[in-house]
Amino acid sequence: MGRRKKIVDECERLMDEPEQIRNIAIAAHVDHGKTTLTDNLLAGTGMIADEGEATKLMMDTEEDEQERGITIDAANVSMTHEYDEQNHLINLIDTPGHVDFGGDVTRAMRAVDGALVVVDAVEGAMPQTETVVRQALREGVKPALFINKVDRLISELQEGPQEMQERLQKVIADVNELIRGMTEEMDDVDDWTVSVEDGTVAFGSALYMWGVSVNSMQRTGLDFGDIIDMERADERQELHEKTPLSNVVLDMVVEHFPNPVDAQPRRVPRIWRGDDELDIAEQMQLVDDDGEVVLMVTDIGMDPHAGEIATGRVFSGTLEKGQELYVSGTAGKNRIQSVGLYMGGEREEVDHVPAGNIAAVTGLKDAIAGSTVSSVEMTPFESIEHISEPVITKSVEAKSMDDLPKLIETLRQVSKEDPTIQIEINEDTGEHLISGQGELHLEVITQRIERNQGIPVTTGEPIVVYREAPRQATEEVEGISPNRHNRFYLTLEPMNEEIVEKIRLGEVSMDMPEQERREALQDAGMDKDSSQNVEHIYGTNILLDDTKGIQHLNETMELVIEGLEEALEDGPLAAEPVQGSLLRLKDARLHEDTIHRGPAQVIPAVRNAVHRALIHSGVALLEPMQDVRIDVPNEHMGAASGEIQGRRGRVDDMYQEGDLMVVEGIAPVDEMIGFSSDIRSATEGRASWNTENAGFEFMSDSLQKDKIMEIRERKGMKLELPEGADYLD
Amino acid sequence: MLTFIGLGLYDERSITVEGQAALRAADAAYAELYTSKLVGASIEDVAEYHDADIEVRDRAGVEQQPGEILDAAEDQDVAFLTAGDTMISTTHVDLRLRAHERGIDTRVVHGTTAQTATSSLTGLQNYRFGKATTLPFEYAHGGNGVPQSVLDTIADNRERGLHTVVYLDIKVGRGPDGDDPAHEEYMTADHAAGQLAEHLPDTLGVVVARAGSPDPLVTADRLSALADREFGDPLHLLLVPGDLHPIEADALGELADAPSELVQY
Ligand SMILES: Nc1nc2c(ncn2[C@@H]2O[C@H](COP(=O)(O)OP(=O)(O)O)[C@@H](O)[C@H]2O)c(=O)[nH]1
Repeated sequence: MGRRKKIVDECERLMDEPEQIRNIAIAAHVDHGKTTLTDNLLAGTGMIADEGEATKLMMDTEEDEQERGITIDAANVSMTHEYDEQNHLINLIDTPGHVDFGGDVTRAMRAVDGALVVVDAVEGAMPQTETVVRQALREGVKPALFINKVDRLISELQEGPQEMQERLQKVIADVNELIRGMTEEMDDVDDWTVSVEDGTVAFGSALYMWGVSVNSMQRTGLDFGDIIDMERADERQELHEKTPLSNVVLDMVVEHFPNPVDAQPRRVPRIWRGDDELDIAEQMQLVDDDGEVVLMVTDIGMDPHAGEIATGRVFSGTLEKGQELYVSGTAGKNRIQSVGLYMGGEREEVDHVPAGNIAAVTGLKDAIAGSTVSSVEMTPFESIEHISEPVITKSVEAKSMDDLPKLIETLRQVSKEDPTIQIEINEDTGEHLISGQGELHLEVITQRIERNQGIPVTTGEPIVVYREAPRQATEEVEGISPNRHNRFYLTLEPMNEEIVEKIRLGEVSMDMPEQERREALQDAGMDKDSSQNVEHIYGTNILLDDTKGIQHLNETMELVIEGLEEALEDGPLAAEPVQGSLLRLKDARLHEDTIHRGPAQVIPAVRNAVHRALIHSGVALLEPMQDVRIDVPNEHMGAASGEIQGRRGRVDDMYQEGDLMVVEGIAPVDEMIGFSSDIRSATEGRASWNTENAGFEFMSDSLQKDKIMEIRERKGMKLELPEGADYLD
Repeated sequence: MLTFIGLGLYDERSITVEGQAALRAADAAYAELYTSKLVGASIEDVAEYHDADIEVRDRAGVEQQPGEILDAAEDQDVAFLTAGDTMISTTHVDLRLRAHERGIDTRVVHGTTAQTATSSLTGLQNYRFGKATTLPFEYAHGGNGVPQSVLDTIADNRERGLHTVVYLDIKVGRGPDGDDPAHEEYMTADHAAGQLAEHLPDTLGVVVARAGSPDPLVTADRLSALADREFGDPLHLLLVPGDLHPIEADALGELADAPSELVQY
């Protein structure tokens, strides 16, 4: 039997034994060694050739590969590992390198039960380590610690045992402080702090492939002193052979991370907000492979042969080819074309994948990262509306005409993998738009396109996305159709924040049953009558139909909604999207004949009415804000806080953390453009920083008019305020 | 002075003699062709025949920017032309009222219109018609199939024994995908009959095609049967008769070849 065949058979056997499965992720700061460690684990378990990287795969024959249509996906890998006389299937889900972008890490963490925290012994825990660990703990994922690059302490820094011990203990203490802080209030976990004695901490070198833990010391008889001696004596190969890193780390994984059967009863209530009385809740908790199918998609990848591949965790039921499944946030069902497992770095088709596993599925054409895919309609793990709205846009063009189709495909792909990215394809001009969470976010995406796909592109200046919102309630406003035979009467008021938030979180939407929506709106403070009159929700705006028995209005409502959407899509000030408006249709006068109340009449009448109402309400521009956190040595603290304040920003907090100062504040996204290089030069490159979207805020009155004109000029609109908006003058 | 002149039903010769005189006397003439059209002649034919300069205005040019027409009418004799009669089925009373607001005198010179032609050609009595309605193209009213209001109008009329004129949509300069100057589309009576037949298959319908032309056509049958026939060049309209007076029944049999079992009284 070929080696590959053996691996396949073994994985297929293990997938039906949930007690022998571990689903894990690695949480690490950039450059602390996640990639090196992953390669190492794959090589150490014989999933890839020993000396190679993850891309040099172990394969029986080439024909074999083509026949099975397997491919390499570096993002998700699996391996088998024998421990305590039992074999185990270990699925490692990738967490994205950049933690700034919200959903991605959370989503990956939701799919795993254990997080291997990797910290560089020399650098210690970094802000990004902290962010990722926090996200893991919040999702109820159990941590264990691997301190990497210990070879550098020994060989490069030549530290003595005392010094080294202090340094390693500090890393452990820092990580534990974080764990304690986060888990204290959680009643579903006990003590999750890590320690050398318990075996939840391991040390080693991912580069030289050796490792050590209490467990390994007992087995190999090599203690820390022996290791120091051998590393110093440059006996690294021997060290690797005697105490291979993959064994040390995977022993820890198998012993200390829960298997799905242990994990899901605790984790399902934490990560899934649906009704826990439902059968499906019990089936997920019990990892019931006979239950309804529930798959949470963490990632969409592209395969040159098979097309889009959705990867995710099966929480209950068994996935099989041909199943027709619901995809959250979309209507209708998708049909599964194939199901598979990862084996090493490859995807291997199998005939079924039961609960507890990480599956790779094709045919889910409507799924995006974050989708819940299920055999019954259910509350999704993640509401798609929840995903933060983009705040910055940039145009992307292929340098060469030949790359055009490939660029379009890549952009579509990017937006599926990362739902916080929105794209607008313009096949006529070739100038496509991508929108995302910040300047850096878009930079990372363009780099991905250039580097990974090899498509040279030119990009435009980043453009910030603004909003327009009402500030006070209006009297009744009239909108008249061009032929003057149709008239609409409406009022507008700012919507209460709680309702806006519920819409944003997807807790109020037109997709939900009417009764549920009414209740949610009433809970958020809307009066009963109004909650019954909801006709449409667009963005975070609501249209109520307060009229009674107007002939022909029903038939015209679709056009009213079209006019409303046009008006809200392009607000009156600068054609930016409108948010937080509660509109009430009070009355309407319609022409007797459909022809004279067609789209050409009704749409402009409603659009004008909504715009006039907005102006009556004192509509003003809002700009997106970002929370900024800078970690910086004391001597550069002034320069760092100056970088925030100098950008119309506000510093909210400054405090000591370890040997660094932390500066926390908030600044407009517009002003944050160019921050990356400015902060580097202001602090001699010593600062590390992080941003997070902080929603939209009204711009101060004195800046309104200039900004409106700037946007209008860019969009080629008339350079004057709309009629009646002279309050902004 | 603003003179509203109806061009009548079919071509450059459908205008009344009085209308012709008013058009010739005008200093400027504007025409609106988006609600109805002369199918037998282009506006250039009309201009040439009557020796007048005629400027065609689109919907926006009449409804949103009527200023130019009204400005001209302040101190000149201006003619405003539409197919049919200017005040029937179109909505130009609005333009007339705006003129009055500005103190401009107005006058109406009538033209023959589909409204009278239907009575004339079919023998259905003018007194026995209920509310008229228009059947829009599906893509134009933002819904599917027949708008409920159209069905309601027919049902209400029939309940009271009255006939219904169903005007058929015309789309010029605007197609399914928005503005499109080259677009010219007339709903045919068979298409309309097909749509209505989904709700009223066995009901009697009367097709009137090319009223006012040298070869008008009048045909009566079940709506479902009408849906399978062709009636030639536009314009078409469709009637849904209510209760028939004996003379009306005889007229439909004689003038419209109505199957006798459908026109019993
Ligand atoms: N000396 C030493 N270097 C390491 C070790 N692990 C990783 N590196 C190096 O650190 C750099 C970053 O490692 P990488 O795995 O790419 O980090 P990632 O960004 O977390 O994936 C690379 O140059 C590695 O060769 C280690 O144990 N010892």
